[in-house]
Amino acid sequence: MTPRARAAFITGFLLPATTLYAVFVVMPVVQAFAFSLYRWRGISANRTFIGLENFRHLFADPIVWMALRHNLLLFVGTSTAILVVSLALAHAIGSDSRAARLLRSVYLFPQVISLVVVAILWMFILNPSFGILNAALKAVGLERWAIAWLGEKPTALASIGVAHVWHALGFYIMLFAAALRTIPPDVIEAATLDGAMGLTRLRYVTLPLLWAVLRIALVYMAIGTMNIFSLVFLMTQGGPDRATEVMLTYLYEQAFKHSEFGYATALAVVNFVLVMALSGAILALFRHNPQEGKA
Amino acid sequence: MIRRVLVAGGLWVFALSVVVPLLWVLVTAFKTGAEIFTSPWGLPHTLQWENFARAWQEAGIARYFMNSLLVTLATLAILLPIGAMAAYIFARYPFRGAKWLFGAFLGGMMFPLFLTIVPLFFLLARLQMLDTLHGLTLVYVAYSLPFTVFVLTGFFQTLPQEMLEAALIDGCGHARAFWKVMLPLAKPGIIVVGVFNAIGLWNEYPLALVIMTSDERRTLPLGIANLLMVEQYQSDWGALFAGLVIVMLPVLFVYWLFRDRIHETMVAGALKG
Repeated sequence: MTPRARAAFITGFLLPATTLYAVFVVMPVVQAFAFSLYRWRGISANRTFIGLENFRHLFADPIVWMALRHNLLLFVGTSTAILVVSLALAHAIGSDSRAARLLRSVYLFPQVISLVVVAILWMFILNPSFGILNAALKAVGLERWAIAWLGEKPTALASIGVAHVWHALGFYIMLFAAALRTIPPDVIEAATLDGAMGLTRLRYVTLPLLWAVLRIALVYMAIGTMNIFSLVFLMTQGGPDRATEVMLTYLYEQAFKHSEFGYATALAVVNFVLVMALSGAILALFRHNPQEGKA
Repeated sequence: MIRRVLVAGGLWVFALSVVVPLLWVLVTAFKTGAEIFTSPWGLPHTLQWENFARAWQEAGIARYFMNSLLVTLATLAILLPIGAMAAYIFARYPFRGAKWLFGAFLGGMMFPLFLTIVPLFFLLARLQMLDTLHGLTLVYVAYSLPFTVFVLTGFFQTLPQEMLEAALIDGCGHARAFWKVMLPLAKPGIIVVGVFNAIGLWNEYPLALVIMTSDERRTLPLGIANLLMVEQYQSDWGALFAGLVIVMLPVLFVYWLFRDRIHETMVAGALKG
């Protein structure tokens, strides 16, 4: 092939994908940073450059801080729950027994069904008049506990956290199980024979072996909870009384209910920067494997 | 021993916590409205197949289903060829700036969707593509490209170079060698990527929420979410539960067929990323 024909071939093959990607992804990303510097209400082209005014307004907005706090609470709460359960089960689920293989397939069900279904499913489970949770509580005599979980301020955010854990857990169990499988079984066996069980095994065998995967998993969890939207939007719309408002539901409200497009884009930029910062902090914080080099 | 029982017990408790809610939806979809309220844990007295008929016709699930099917298939029909073409170049034809361009594609997996949602909304408005199925399709193609190109590039790199050379010696041009030899060889990879994308597209909610507004063009996730709002006034809960089953079943079926490949790809993608 002549260099010229080669260049034509390469260009022709790359062109469709690159064009679509540039138009619908790259350009909007670049525009997002520009839009955030404008005051822009409504569909009209009528926008005013206001520099960092949106950001100043944003940092003085109490709802932003509240939403951010909810995102962080969800991150801490759900990632703790996910880590505890998935680390406790990772060894067992990773084995090659038939039961383990069947369970592995079942665990991903919540991951492959739509978040819309997950949201509605949990709204029904938690429903005060026909949900199975309250029906079960009443059956065992805990009537006082049978409350409107999503309608009460103290329990609404936690309920959404439970739905999120239900949705996400299977993926992390899979991930840790797969990482453990890449380790020669005799390493784990030797440690087990040495009497390392329970918390000792967790500390000296499982955690060090999984360290690299754990770091990545934590970053995924941070991204997942900082960008949570569908579950909250469908289950509570941020309510009651903003008790479950998160960054992206607030962004959606500003953009598509109040037509505050400049402000909403500034929120998107801030959320993006925060996610990157949080991910970077997690990677830096967990850089050193505490057990590395010790034997 | 006790510990082993505890861990095994934990595995089964979790499995039940996954399966019981899903079975509950399935069982409830066959109940009458009264049964849903009086015995949440009970079994239906007689199977109410009418719930499915009402969901499919009166509640409009049929239309939403066809919209979702159309958008998903159209997206795959565009995405897979153009994604494979780009991946093939990245895997086999090094050129100046290739690393940079590949990085730009991968960067798309990092950017949260909502960073672009307002500019994207106005872009579609200008292109007269808001609230159109072809607009949604093009957006889906663009946002599925990073993952698709990433996985397929890895796949093309593993194919033997000799096959390509043999085709070229036979007098095939490079483009023909791709379509006739390399692409068929890459079929297993294309299938995995296709299934993965199909599940994600079938389930997609936030982009459709922003782009689609009229009822007759809603996709399934939008339709079922809207049904939830409507039923709060009409309270035909049986039909809503039947609707949930209709949304879930195709995905669970496809997932079950391909579950081993899906596990591999999911884990590999996560660990590399």
